[in-house]
Amino acid sequence: MMVTSAAQQLQEASEGTHLASRSELEAFLKGVERRAFKQAMFAVRDEEAALDIVQDAMLRLAEKYGHRPAAELPLLFHRIVQNAVRDWFRRQKVRSLWTTLLSSLSGGSDDEDRDPLDTLEAAGPPNVHGAPAEQFEQSQVLEIIEQELARLPERQRQAFIMRYWEELDVAETAKVMGCSEGSVKTHCSRATHALALALKARGITL
Amino acid sequence: MNEMQFGNRIRHILNSAPALPADQAGRLAAARAQALQRQRPELAPALAWADNVLGSLGGWGGVSLRVMAPAIALIVSLAAIYTWQQNQRAAEVEELDAMLLTDELPIDAYLDRGFQNWLKKRLAEE
Repeated sequence: MMVTSAAQQLQEASEGTHLASRSELEAFLKGVERRAFKQAMFAVRDEEAALDIVQDAMLRLAEKYGHRPAAELPLLFHRIVQNAVRDWFRRQKVRSLWTTLLSSLSGGSDDEDRDPLDTLEAAGPPNVHGAPAEQFEQSQVLEIIEQELARLPERQRQAFIMRYWEELDVAETAKVMGCSEGSVKTHCSRATHALALALKARGITL
Repeated sequence: MNEMQFGNRIRHILNSAPALPADQAGRLAAARAQALQRQRPELAPALAWADNVLGSLGGWGGVSLRVMAPAIALIVSLAAIYTWQQNQRAAEVEELDAMLLTDELPIDAYLDRGFQNWLKKRLAEE
């Protein structure tokens, strides 16, 4: 039994799941980098931070998993990107805690009325209702879709992007997100409805 | 339009996006080049297979947990048993010596087999 499974593994290692070569890794990174950058942008809404996240994820993938079978690279990479985004938010939380503490200690009175949410609101686009789809150029449609994707709740957006942009199946998405397949389906369904409604409200029908 | 069709349509639009601005594309290309430099050198097939099997066991961390931890526990317990046995033997010899030295015995008693047997019997009784 043990011998059979070892032989199978050897066969898989040498034939089916061959290990990623340098050129395969390069091709994979080249193909995925724009989407990964956009995903990081949707999440952190900061170009520099998003670029850093993708760079860290690439380095981590190459260093730790650079010679895993080529077929495993997408799942590993997306998992690394998700973790990097989570780490970024964690660091931001700690940083904002220190900033709040320091500013309260220094007693800056001008900042009292400032609400961090104001900046988030301001970053959002003006809401255009009822404009006909024909008036939008392809690039404008794209921009609106990106804006609305960025507005989706984090988990819904992750699930939707993994399923429909990265074309992972439900089981793979669940692995990347570290949740059950049922949750992935729920997140996807909610994201689809929210996105469809938001696009419709902005005059876009697909 | 169902969920799948909607998702496919969105993917089509997202993929039709123009290339990233030069500065962003440049940073990503530099990151890619840096990552490729850090890729571990190609492993020999046998090593690669061993690494694969190792990976399926949970990587070096998994092996250290599953193999090294029990091995270390075994070595530590064997060492403890050996030390305890040595101490016991030393204590027996010490006791025997003490008994012989505290009693007033003729020197011939040490050579008498009957005396040695009596001594052992007495020790056992105690």
